Amino acid sequence: MAAPPRHVSMLSISNSNSNSNAGTPQSTSSEKPQTPQPPSTPQPTSGLRVPSNRKTIYDRHLNRSRNAESSRASFAYLFAEMVAYAQRRVKGIQDLEKKLNEQGYPLGLRLLDLLFYRSTSTSSSALSSSSTSSSPPNRPLRILPLLHLIHGPLWRLLFQRSADALEHSVSPDTPNEYMITDNDPLVNTYISVPRELNMLNCAAFIAGVIEGVCDGCGFEAKVSAHNQPTEMWPSRTVFLLRFGDSVMEREKVLERAGVK
Amino acid sequence: MSATKASRIGEEIWKTRIDKVNAELVTLTYGTIVAQLCQDYNSDYQEVNKQLEKMGHNIGMRLIEDFLAKSGVGRCANFRETADMIAKVGFKIFLNVAPTVTNWTSDNNQFSLIFDENPLADFVELPDDGRAQDELWFSNILCGVLRGALEMVQMQIEAHFVSDVLRGDDTTEMRVSLVRYIEDEMPPEEE
Amino acid sequence: MPVYSFYIFDRHAECIYKRRWLPRPTSIAGKSSRATDPQAGPTGLGQTVKAGDDDAKLVFGTVFSLRNMVRKLGGEEDNFVSYSTSQYKLHYYETPTNIKFVMLTDLKSPSMRIALQQIYINLFVEYVVKNPLSPIEHPGGVGVNNELFEESLEQFVTRVLA
Repeated sequence: MAAPPRHVSMLSISNSNSNSNAGTPQSTSSEKPQTPQPPSTPQPTSGLRVPSNRKTIYDRHLNRSRNAESSRASFAYLFAEMVAYAQRRVKGIQDLEKKLNEQGYPLGLRLLDLLFYRSTSTSSSALSSSSTSSSPPNRPLRILPLLHLIHGPLWRLLFQRSADALEHSVSPDTPNEYMITDNDPLVNTYISVPRELNMLNCAAFIAGVIEGVCDGCGFEAKVSAHNQPTEMWPSRTVFLLRFGDSVMEREKVLERAGVK
Repeated sequence: MSATKASRIGEEIWKTRIDKVNAELVTLTYGTIVAQLCQDYNSDYQEVNKQLEKMGHNIGMRLIEDFLAKSGVGRCANFRETADMIAKVGFKIFLNVAPTVTNWTSDNNQFSLIFDENPLADFVELPDDGRAQDELWFSNILCGVLRGALEMVQMQIEAHFVSDVLRGDDTTEMRVSLVRYIEDEMPPEEE
Repeated sequence: MPVYSFYIFDRHAECIYKRRWLPRPTSIAGKSSRATDPQAGPTGLGQTVKAGDDDAKLVFGTVFSLRNMVRKLGGEEDNFVSYSTSQYKLHYYETPTNIKFVMLTDLKSPSMRIALQQIYINLFVEYVVKNPLSPIEHPGGVGVNNELFEESLEQFVTRVLA
């Protein structure tokens, strides 16, 4: 089952995949020639007013904030409010995790576009990415490259480091299960979970981000976050990715076809 | 304390004492919060503004402790000093921007913060529904943050945006007014 | 260097955390009407304040009056740091948000002002204020007595200050 649009009323934060066909000049998919859109036209397609000094998303480079920093505390406060807001609207841990997952999901969709854009236009000139032939297709077709995309570039974009481990389920019953481990998730930095909620892992939000990335790539998956503390890493978290049947079937077909 | 001194303090703390994250993580997380509210309140933007302000108030009440812990600054001598502290130290160490303080009223009880940069709104275009640009204050959480933070240091203030580049205005401006100073609370009388 | 007890009061003048390590010298306890207080035992875990347990109220009343007196005499910026009796020393640290940290130690203890400030900055702010699952304010002490805060306070007092 392809994922139905879970979030219909997204604000159109640029690159939101739902309007990647809107023809905005910074549309990021590298496979798409970008020349037909005059890159200097600031007019959005619509009746939105824009400031005369052109401080719009269309006039500013998408990589402008790439290396920009903010404080970890600000993230923590926003995240805390997100958790508190969700908590007020749900009953029980499962609901709360589901809600957090849902909040992360659209973020995953958006980050995916940003990741692709960055991965093609990083080195050398950003503009050269409009010629498609030179850059290899970077959208993962198989599960493993997708997982590497999450474990590496996605984690680096979010947390400025790679995830700590990537594993495949050893059980023959669950070949569709993969695990990505973060020894010390940023989102849990300040969280001290009370005993009565000891199953709760607020990294469900990140699980949602991962799910968004997977779905956005066409890999239907369910992703959940689990506490797996060790003595050294008390907030160690394992993200369990369960890919859907359709993905596993396609995986077999592609395997036979020799697609990597 | 002068504005330049406040700037220096802000820079110094930002460089040496602040754990950093990728700014985009903050931007996008905030975006999902606003989007979620718009969804939950069926694009009733007045209500979204209100909720954002409330969230900000909650954040401000926590953030002020962090601010004091990091900056080690004491009480401000007057509201003008408070304004510089907010703009040059507070915004600097939490969002890595330093809005301009301007448009003081003659009684020194009201000023504006002009945001040249607003990291919360970096990837944002408001919904093109004919209403959002007139009704939604996307960054309204910041008003609440100021209200919550200053309430904890015994100042009751009121803050609201008067313009926003997301609405097509040329500047993003927040107006801040001091309502009153809050007295210390006493323990409840006994016997 | 014995630390006897530790208190946090919030801006509403409520004791939101208290903890005792060592029983105070018997001479105090003997003179006090609460000599039989069972909670005065060594290394009790942190307790939220219970009704009728009023030493926190006495401590608050004392530091509140002292602080106000000090400000009257020395100006708004002035504050007291500690006072000593023949039995114990009380250390005081107040934030601009009106949170008050109080620690009772033996007489030989050096100034604990920095230690209290460290508890505020490194423990209270990090583990209570920033904890999303902890409420913003702490009526009855709720949210302060979380595991991270209590454990790190225990470590700080028993290892760093000892």
